[in-house]
Amino acid sequence: MEAWRLQVPGCQNTSLPRVPFSLRPTLGLCYAWLCALLWLLGKPPGAVFVAICARQGDSSCRFLSVSDLFDRVIQHSDRLHSLSTALYEKNFLPNGNELGKWTGKCHTSRMLTPNGKEYVQKIPREELTHLILRLLQAWKEPLSHFDQNIGHHQELSSDSLSKAKQISNMVHELKTGMEKVTEKMQSMGIISNSLNGMGSSEAAGLSISNEANLMSDYEFIHCFRRDSNKVQSYLKILKCRIWPGNSC
Amino acid sequence: MKQNLASSVRFILLLFLNIECLNEQSPPGKPEVLKCRSPEMETFTCWWKPGSDGGLPTNYTLLYNKEGKEQIYECPDYRTAGPNSCYFDKKHTNLWTSYNISVKATNEVGSNISNPHYVDVTSIVQPDPPINLSLQVIQSAGILYLWANWSPPPLVDVRSGWLILHYELRLKSEEREEWETIFVGQQAHYKAFKLHPGLKYIVQVHCMLDHGEWSEWSSESYIQIPNGQPPGKPELLRCRSPEKETFTCWWKPGSDGGLPTNYTLLYSKEGDKSINECPDYRTAGPNSCYFDKKHTSLWAIYNITIKATNKMGSNISEPQYVDVTYIVQPDPPVNLSLEVKKQVDGKPYLLLKWHPPPLADVKSGWLTLEYKLRLKPEEGDEWETIFVGQQTQYKLFSLNPGKKYLAQVHCKPDHGEWSEWSSESYIQIPSDIELKDVIVWIFVAVLSSVICLIIIWMMALKGFSMVACILPPVPGPKIKGLDTHLLETGRSDEFLSALGCQDFPPTSDCEDLLVEFLEVDDSEDQQLMPSHEKGHPSKNMKSTHKETDSDSGRGSCDSPFLLSDRSREPRIPPSAFQTPDISEISENNARKSSCEIQSTDLKGKIPYFSIGSTKLSTWPGAQLSNNQTPKCSYHNITDVCKIALGTMNVNVTSILGGNEENQQSQYSKPTETISEEKLDKQGEVESLHSKADQDRMQLLPNEKSPFLSAKLMDYVEIHKVNQDGALAVLPKQKENGGKTENCTVPGTSKEYAKVSRVVDNSILVIIPVSRVQTTPMFQEPPKESVQNLQQSQTEKNMSYCFTTPSECKIDTGGLDYLDPTSFMCSFN
Repeated sequence: MEAWRLQVPGCQNTSLPRVPFSLRPTLGLCYAWLCALLWLLGKPPGAVFVAICARQGDSSCRFLSVSDLFDRVIQHSDRLHSLSTALYEKNFLPNGNELGKWTGKCHTSRMLTPNGKEYVQKIPREELTHLILRLLQAWKEPLSHFDQNIGHHQELSSDSLSKAKQISNMVHELKTGMEKVTEKMQSMGIISNSLNGMGSSEAAGLSISNEANLMSDYEFIHCFRRDSNKVQSYLKILKCRIWPGNSC
Repeated sequence: MKQNLASSVRFILLLFLNIECLNEQSPPGKPEVLKCRSPEMETFTCWWKPGSDGGLPTNYTLLYNKEGKEQIYECPDYRTAGPNSCYFDKKHTNLWTSYNISVKATNEVGSNISNPHYVDVTSIVQPDPPINLSLQVIQSAGILYLWANWSPPPLVDVRSGWLILHYELRLKSEEREEWETIFVGQQAHYKAFKLHPGLKYIVQVHCMLDHGEWSEWSSESYIQIPNGQPPGKPELLRCRSPEKETFTCWWKPGSDGGLPTNYTLLYSKEGDKSINECPDYRTAGPNSCYFDKKHTSLWAIYNITIKATNKMGSNISEPQYVDVTYIVQPDPPVNLSLEVKKQVDGKPYLLLKWHPPPLADVKSGWLTLEYKLRLKPEEGDEWETIFVGQQTQYKLFSLNPGKKYLAQVHCKPDHGEWSEWSSESYIQIPSDIELKDVIVWIFVAVLSSVICLIIIWMMALKGFSMVACILPPVPGPKIKGLDTHLLETGRSDEFLSALGCQDFPPTSDCEDLLVEFLEVDDSEDQQLMPSHEKGHPSKNMKSTHKETDSDSGRGSCDSPFLLSDRSREPRIPPSAFQTPDISEISENNARKSSCEIQSTDLKGKIPYFSIGSTKLSTWPGAQLSNNQTPKCSYHNITDVCKIALGTMNVNVTSILGGNEENQQSQYSKPTETISEEKLDKQGEVESLHSKADQDRMQLLPNEKSPFLSAKLMDYVEIHKVNQDGALAVLPKQKENGGKTENCTVPGTSKEYAKVSRVVDNSILVIIPVSRVQTTPMFQEPPKESVQNLQQSQTEKNMSYCFTTPSECKIDTGGLDYLDPTSFMCSFN
């Protein structure tokens, strides 16, 4: 949660009164966290955000609308995807047509996800949001597992390992951020409050994630890259459905 | 009678005999054994040819006996092998035994027997031709060959090894005559290479045993060698999705083997075992397969292969794995428009606008496009590429006006490839701004050059008058109480007398001057002196002498006539004097010394002469050390004039030559420079004018000099005299009549004025001098100037200032009476 505050920090709470009080930490603590995490993770978007909202009650903070937050979520997913792509291409593409080895064994394969634009567009906003959250949830556990057992992946270079670690963190943040935005959208009535099945989906995600441990590194990264792309695409569609115009 | 009977009997008998003879059947002809053959060395058959049958049914029997045996046997089987043949079955056939065979033809009359025919079975073996000849064209490893195989003749027992058959094959293309015969050996098949595709071949085969004869050729077999080959391996080139919703794959066909080849695209989706064929071969053109939305799944890997098939076979490409998400390459953006617009401050900029490719669904957020622009001048080689980001317009500020630009744009989705560049758009950056400038400048240049030409032309036409025009003369002084009319109309005598009168101040200095003046008055005899010495006698001079005579010392200072007269006269003489001056100075110094003597003589006697000559004499000689001799100062007019001239000269040099050189420190040089300068001038008048101008130039600073004092206001009269006298020299100069002379005539105030100098031909400056002031001023400044002039050039200017004051004083004395504004105007 703290990590996510890089992207959606508490200052939005000051500007947007609808945010529950429970999410409003003391600002000082928040910034301390931010600085520490910034230093650790080195994320420019966070830095920008902090810079904007460093002054309390600054009017610039007030304009961070939900759509702006949504943009940040999308940016985050972009970054996540490019990280996974870099990891994937660096480790596997040079070895030839690795796709041929592909067995289609993603642990998320059992989740029914739309695989075309029109299908995505047909899905109600709430379900799409739910789907995104489920996908992220499904990866949270396997990624942290992957991260923890990083010593076993001797075939990966140190650079790749750091990327994997970064990815693991970012998925965590992305999920948190998405949840925030979802809450906000629900509170604003943009989407309905019918997303009460999260608990069950999390359980499902956990059961699924056990399969993920059986995958090879190649499959693991490939699957994650694919799912991060899914999340990114769904997010963009969702954003343009809710806020048409702008860059849509 | 008996005889007759006998003969008749004989006749009848004969006849009968004849008849008998005629109807007699002869024995058969000799038959001939043709051949005996054994097809398999187990049985054999002999054929004969019957001879003539003698008109009777003839029976043929084949008789034989075996080698070494007397017993003669008849043929065991006449039927099996057909007519006129005898078949010896296995029972009757003995190998390695010679048979003596003959054929006997028998009829009622007699019989005939053929020649015996000896036969050894082993040597008469001739197998039947092979059977079941089959042909096949086979392609293996890209090589085409004919496969022929056959069966041995059925009678021959090959399998038991009893007999060994050797085969020979012959083939030819249908249209050719010669056979190509190939010995095959014992095998019953053959590969024929080097066949011409597209031809029809005829193939036959025959065989033989180890000994014996070749069998007949088998029946002909035909084969068509096909023209083509199986197709080469096709190759899947690439797959591309223009909008992340559908995709298309293209392949490159391999060789088609010369036959119509069919291509099919087969794919299987990830997680789906079934293999499907391409849904749409047509939409995307030949050798491509289009997957519409229904058949396109994102985040699923397609395994795609291409299969090429023709009559000769088929070939399959390597499988290709495609993930639609990562093969997105949009179409190029469309409607790139260029427009030159102006900023608020009027500076132009280029506005580029375009639209995303129509297929790409940017609005729904399904696809995010980034754009890149590139620009270049039409004749340029290098593109300038600009990354634009997600916006669909761009403002370009750095433009080269007047150039034609090409612009293109392409786009890229977030995870995909750059599209092709859009079609080129052109724009001509207007250059009218610059053109206007150029036109204006050309216009200005032409105009100014025309004006210059006109001026030059005018100058050429009008000559020196133009100079005067441009540099108008110093306006005349406007002095209260001065009767200009009198000055103008008055005689020179009066003027001169007025001058003389000026020299009579009550002061002692004035007395000295008076003495001097008196001398001038007396020395009428010496009038001709200058003419002798300088070789320039002139009537004008004489007249001036005479006039001075009348004027000198006698005319009252007050009389304006005198002044006017004087002012008139000097104008001419100086012009005359000038020439000698120039010539003499330039020639040698010796003359100057003489001049000096002369001038000293002249001093006080003939002011006008002295004015001219002293200029020469005083400078090199007595006043060598000082420009302005303090001695001469105001004691006599000539001295004053000398001073004036001297100062003038110095000033002139200071203006003209002095600025460039430091020679000013030497006092002899100014004269030289002046003289040289004068020499340089082409005409007298011109030089005079220039001098006059310089004088005036000198006046201006003097006017402002601190030496101006209120006391100077005390002077009596100053007349302005017009330059009428110049008419004699140059009529054109009438226009320049503005040149004035300041003549200060000491008035009732008893202060006196001096003629400070005669400037060339036209200007006579008469200076009012206050006794108290002038004395120090005339004496001191020159000294200072000596010192100063020897100093550096920077100080030189100052020295001039010091020297000038002496003149300044003189002039300003007059200037006080002048209207300063008129000076200013003329000089400006």
